[in-house]
Amino acid sequence: MYVTHLNLRDFRNYERLDLTLEPGATLLYGPNAAGKTTVLEAIYFLATTRSPRAGADRELVRFEAQGDIGVPPFARLVCDVARAEGRVRLEVVVQRRAEEEASGSAVQTIKTVRVDRKAVRALDLVGHLRVVLFTPADVALVTGAPAERRRYLDVTLSQLEGRYVRTLAHYQKVVQQRNSLLRAWREGRRPLRSADDELAFWDRELAMAGAYILHERLRAVADLNALVGPIYGRVTSSDVALMTRYQSSVAGFGPEADTQAIERAFLEHLARQRDDEIGRGQTLVGPHRDDLLISAGTIAIGTYGSRGQQRSATLALKLGEAELMRARAGDAPVLLLDDLLSELDAERRGHLLDVLERPDQQTLVTATGTEEFEAGFLRRARRWRVEHGRLYPS
Amino acid sequence: MVGSMHTANETQILTEPVARLIEEFSRLPGIGPKTASRLTFFMLRAPDEAARSLAEALIALKQQVHFCARCYFIAQGELCVVCTSPARDQRLICVVEEPLDVVAIERTGVFRGLYHVLHGRIAPLEGMNREDIYFDELLDRVRTEPVEEVILATNPNLEGEATAFHLQRALAPLGVRITRLARGLPTGGDLEWADPGTLSSALEGRREL
Repeated sequence: MYVTHLNLRDFRNYERLDLTLEPGATLLYGPNAAGKTTVLEAIYFLATTRSPRAGADRELVRFEAQGDIGVPPFARLVCDVARAEGRVRLEVVVQRRAEEEASGSAVQTIKTVRVDRKAVRALDLVGHLRVVLFTPADVALVTGAPAERRRYLDVTLSQLEGRYVRTLAHYQKVVQQRNSLLRAWREGRRPLRSADDELAFWDRELAMAGAYILHERLRAVADLNALVGPIYGRVTSSDVALMTRYQSSVAGFGPEADTQAIERAFLEHLARQRDDEIGRGQTLVGPHRDDLLISAGTIAIGTYGSRGQQRSATLALKLGEAELMRARAGDAPVLLLDDLLSELDAERRGHLLDVLERPDQQTLVTATGTEEFEAGFLRRARRWRVEHGRLYPS
Repeated sequence: MVGSMHTANETQILTEPVARLIEEFSRLPGIGPKTASRLTFFMLRAPDEAARSLAEALIALKQQVHFCARCYFIAQGELCVVCTSPARDQRLICVVEEPLDVVAIERTGVFRGLYHVLHGRIAPLEGMNREDIYFDELLDRVRTEPVEEVILATNPNLEGEATAFHLQRALAPLGVRITRLARGLPTGGDLEWADPGTLSSALEGRREL
């Protein structure tokens, strides 16, 4: 699939942007803070309704944005996507709430989402456009906290399965409600006598949603292993195998377990952990506590790998993610490579660029200059110079 | 936050009655300090009659209306209009979260039974548990009234489902028929445009023709 058109209004430092895109490689280059990454961020946002950068949605609206008369300032993002299953137009409007409404409220922005001009819930936008974003910060996938690796699986699966996004959102709400019940007991704000009865509903919802999430993640990890191993071998020119293994906080189910079996094991494990959970005041069992172990040969590369191995593993995981999407959806995701080529050495860069050369692969690449690219790539790529929130063809 | 909104200096400039009304307005849900100030100055400029009429309406509300002793819907006497109506089917109770849900169901004109308003839903995150809503009062009604069926009409979201779950468990031993509102497609809707969650519950809840 590929984005044919991107239109921005008052998004970050872009007052207006009207950009026609084509399949193949597009290079955006220019000085820092010119707005290169913002183009990738906009596409990522249209795919996931989330920004990959930290910070509040409020900051997405251009600082000087005026809005229309009587309407608080807003940012508008629209893109057209050509896909195997037909064209689609995606639109997100992020509006700052008027000051008096927003005061004292945690919600500072209102997000309106449309698919083919029809208003939908934010969750239902996800999956229409599939993207894989790859930035230098992604090495945290290998070296960072478990949450990074859970997010990696969640972002991938959410774009592939509408049910996954919805179930994950439901699961997170259940965890919050359940935690506040556990906290009330821990802090002695509630009598403990009917704990089992009060937890029954939340346990059931947790196990039902959690079992589905676990099952999907396990299936994805199995598929990823088949893809990531060979990529890592090619990138490092070695026969050391890169392996990922899903480590679940839910004990008592085997590798071949179906969702029902996982759900049963989940509920049993919850019952065993009951006192511990009340003692700690939080939900200790479930996909929100899991991790993905990454090893090359026999070593855990997050801890013991060299910087080079960690970068190669990140590259393999990201390319694996793209391959998984291509295989499952029958359509290549849009690759967004942010300032990455400067981070990679010539050889790893070569492997990445090979993937970019596939005819059905749309890739947006950002860089500070054009020097680091070989002449052949530059000739084939569409090039845009980015300066102060404007794009100039070059 | 009450009493701390204006500094002593500000109160002096605004005068005490103005500062006080701003504070009172800003305690209302959905009203921030800006709107509260605007409403206050509107009242200040309005004819005396407007202010008196508003004050009287507020006092009448609190003096004349309270919650029905039986079903906790709004009532002017001890019991509400639904509970006192002889035409209502006493064997049927529809359980809802809020008084406005009763209004919504009444608008359909098809329900002829009684109501029970919980005044909330089970949501630990908001500090709402079974004892914070009229939960046990419903059980008492089922024990003492000639009820044959309880319709659980809590909202079809996580908290509404949690409430329905606990009601169902508590009601089951009382030997009454328990039903839940159907979830599905809106009338006049378009299948193509239904969101997947609604569509899948409509499929699950399909019925034989």
